[in-house]
Amino acid sequence: MRKSFKREVSPGSFHEGAERKGAMEKFLYHLEIFLKKQMTRKGFLKVCCAALLAFIAGNQFLKAAFAKSEVSSGRPKKGLKGAHDIVAVKGEDAYKNTVKAVEAMGGMGCFVKKGAVVVVKPNMAWDRSPRQAANTEPAVVAALVEMCYQAGAKRVNVFDIPCNEDRPVYEHTGIAAAAKEKGAFVYFADHWNVVKAKFAYNSSMEGWPVLRDAVECDTFINVPVLKHHGYTKLTLSMKNLMGVCSGKRGLIHLDIGPKLVDMADFINPDLTVIDATRVLVRNGPSGGNEADVQVFNTVIAATDPTLADVYACSLVKVDPVDIPYLKAAMARGFGRSDLSKADILQVQA
Amino acid sequence: MRKLVFLRRISQILFLGFFIYVLWSTTYPLSGGIPPGVLFKLDPLLMLSTALSERTLVPGLSFAALMTAVTFFLGRFFCGWMCPLGTVIDFFGSFRKKKRELSYPQSQRLKNIKYLFLGVFFLLAVAGVQAAWVMDPIVTAARVVSFNLIPSATYAVDRGFVWLIQTFGLYGGFYDFYRDLKAGFLGVRIAFFANALVTFVYFLAIGFASFGVARLWCRLLCPLGAFYSLVASFSQLERKAEACNGCGLCSRRCRMGAINPKGEYDKGECILCLDCVYDCPEGKTRFVVRGVKGAAPAAPRTEGRGMTRRSFLWLMASSLLSLGACGVPVANRPRVIRPPGVEEENRFLNTCVRCGNCMKVCVTNGLQPVMLESGWQGLWTPLLVPEIGYCEYNCHLCGQVCPTGAIPRLSREEKKQARLGLARVDHALCLAWAHKKQCIVCEEHCPVADKAIKLDIARIDGHDVYRPVVDAALCVGCGICQNKCPVSPQRAIRVEAAG
Repeated sequence: MRKSFKREVSPGSFHEGAERKGAMEKFLYHLEIFLKKQMTRKGFLKVCCAALLAFIAGNQFLKAAFAKSEVSSGRPKKGLKGAHDIVAVKGEDAYKNTVKAVEAMGGMGCFVKKGAVVVVKPNMAWDRSPRQAANTEPAVVAALVEMCYQAGAKRVNVFDIPCNEDRPVYEHTGIAAAAKEKGAFVYFADHWNVVKAKFAYNSSMEGWPVLRDAVECDTFINVPVLKHHGYTKLTLSMKNLMGVCSGKRGLIHLDIGPKLVDMADFINPDLTVIDATRVLVRNGPSGGNEADVQVFNTVIAATDPTLADVYACSLVKVDPVDIPYLKAAMARGFGRSDLSKADILQVQA
Repeated sequence: MRKLVFLRRISQILFLGFFIYVLWSTTYPLSGGIPPGVLFKLDPLLMLSTALSERTLVPGLSFAALMTAVTFFLGRFFCGWMCPLGTVIDFFGSFRKKKRELSYPQSQRLKNIKYLFLGVFFLLAVAGVQAAWVMDPIVTAARVVSFNLIPSATYAVDRGFVWLIQTFGLYGGFYDFYRDLKAGFLGVRIAFFANALVTFVYFLAIGFASFGVARLWCRLLCPLGAFYSLVASFSQLERKAEACNGCGLCSRRCRMGAINPKGEYDKGECILCLDCVYDCPEGKTRFVVRGVKGAAPAAPRTEGRGMTRRSFLWLMASSLLSLGACGVPVANRPRVIRPPGVEEENRFLNTCVRCGNCMKVCVTNGLQPVMLESGWQGLWTPLLVPEIGYCEYNCHLCGQVCPTGAIPRLSREEKKQARLGLARVDHALCLAWAHKKQCIVCEEHCPVADKAIKLDIARIDGHDVYRPVVDAALCVGCGICQNKCPVSPQRAIRVEAAG
């Protein structure tokens, strides 16, 4: 049989020098006896159970010691203001438009501090090419990433939870490649790395899993694309925040208005840059037909998400009251919605 | 130092590694460099029975002919040096040293069983039914790798990383490493295959059989082995014992039971493991090319060759019974949602070799192995399960990786036109139709540019309700609507198979 496991119990030299028995030696003595004992089946099971219990307890301890909180009450409200309420730049080149819009707002330095971790959240939802205009223009994202690094950002993260399969979407939209070229960290969102949203008021988004990286960042730049949507009429900045929500997102559509306003309040984007370069005017939000695309060649920058969305509505001549989340925002007094009182700078590049 | 045996082991390990590598890289966006179908095109049994049952020329036939030609020269080198299942069987067998040894006459009788299987598959193919997938070793190994090995390995690595990151709060560089790994070899989506346990148990049974008798599967059952064995009995490379003291060691140790106690051997059974070269105490056993100067004369023909009347009757009876077991005519069977481009069910069942490539490559994991939903003939063929994953509109990879063209090789534009089925709204469950709520999730996800799901706007209780209506002329049946429908457990919009 397996005789190699059967060893003699011989504590050896420890018996002889009894006067030298310190605590450490005592321990070693017992350890040696323990190690040299032949293992019985019962003993083995005991050790296994003990190891399992120790593992579970240790796991709990480590989680308590190191793991991050699973609940979050959203990003702090910094109330950053730019030089204007809204800047809209119209011009041939989306990259230059974006740079001009942010510069007219007072430069990226107003929003990104040195060493900051920045999230640039484009609308990267559909497996469509840039020409089909279902996603944010890659050049807009690239320009923002570049400016963030120039302003001294430590790290710029670009991610989204797409509606189609992650990899084809990241590749075919062209956003991943454009952002990576500028040094951004582009990665696939992990549905296990989420926080549960907590609100100070009654919200139907209470407990909704939101991507941790979107919440735990220093600056959040929301970069939606202006396009048609079958139900909310337009997809704008607040709708774009559905992209950081994990879970069964289809359910957000039930009573979508207040939910998206709560999300905008929770994420509290520091800067909203709406890409209206190529606008899908029919068959949104996924589109797919270039005949449905109109070229607006405009980039809008604003700090107030509601104001940004209301201004974008005026571009495509849609009444903001028809858009459920803008209607809810107005009813609640979330952000400003009166364009006549806003400081709007329109630039022709 | 058993140099040649060492070489064989290296070759076996390399081919097994290559096999796993090719299957592992059969994933979006197919940048592995090696065409994923090549593993199966090398298999003459699959290619011949597919070509014969459909009476067409399959592109893989040339590869299969090449393998047959090499076998004609070398013998069953494939079984001993390349076959991934053979390697695993050898590996299992190495765990138990004491095996039951069959006497030479016993193993000569038992070896004939595999010819019966080969004959049945051949006759079924002639009758128009391709059933070689039932026992072919290559697809059996491929299914285990694709359905069991890769999913469980990636799952374990992924969970391990998540545990480390979460418990130790390693959200820095370690997390970035995990993300890179996920974008690379782990895959963004950890695949899962329904009823994968069945393939695994089948595989385990084959492996454990070699605990009792070495290479039991290869000697008794493997139809591909039988095919190679027929070709190998004419092989040019031959074993020659120049001096024999009649000790019988080679006979007792031969894993294939190919050598009789007199030291003579059955060429068709020899898989060139080359153990006998080193086992021989005389050290005079060699493998030489027939007809070359100094080579031995042809080995004596062993007994038990040719077909007896009894075995002929056995073959006919079992073929007829298997044909009868095909059961309900294909036209009357319930249809399942097939991959894009598959039109005729009967042709699909004959050309599909159940290698699992399409399911492995499916980017949404929606293609799943069928169990008995379309009769036993449909076992392990792919079906789309929209609840698990839909057919990605811009993806046409399943057709690209199919080794026999069972799933047509469509271009992206052609694939977008291919109809898998038709979506139907269940008015009793739909949030908009039944509960007058706002949803339109199916409409917004519909990938057809002009929307195969239209919205019927009704004014109910003072507000507009957008109710989805399927446009049958546009719907391609991709199943994304069913996949994304928030109603559960039964989805309120479901795709029914085309045809």
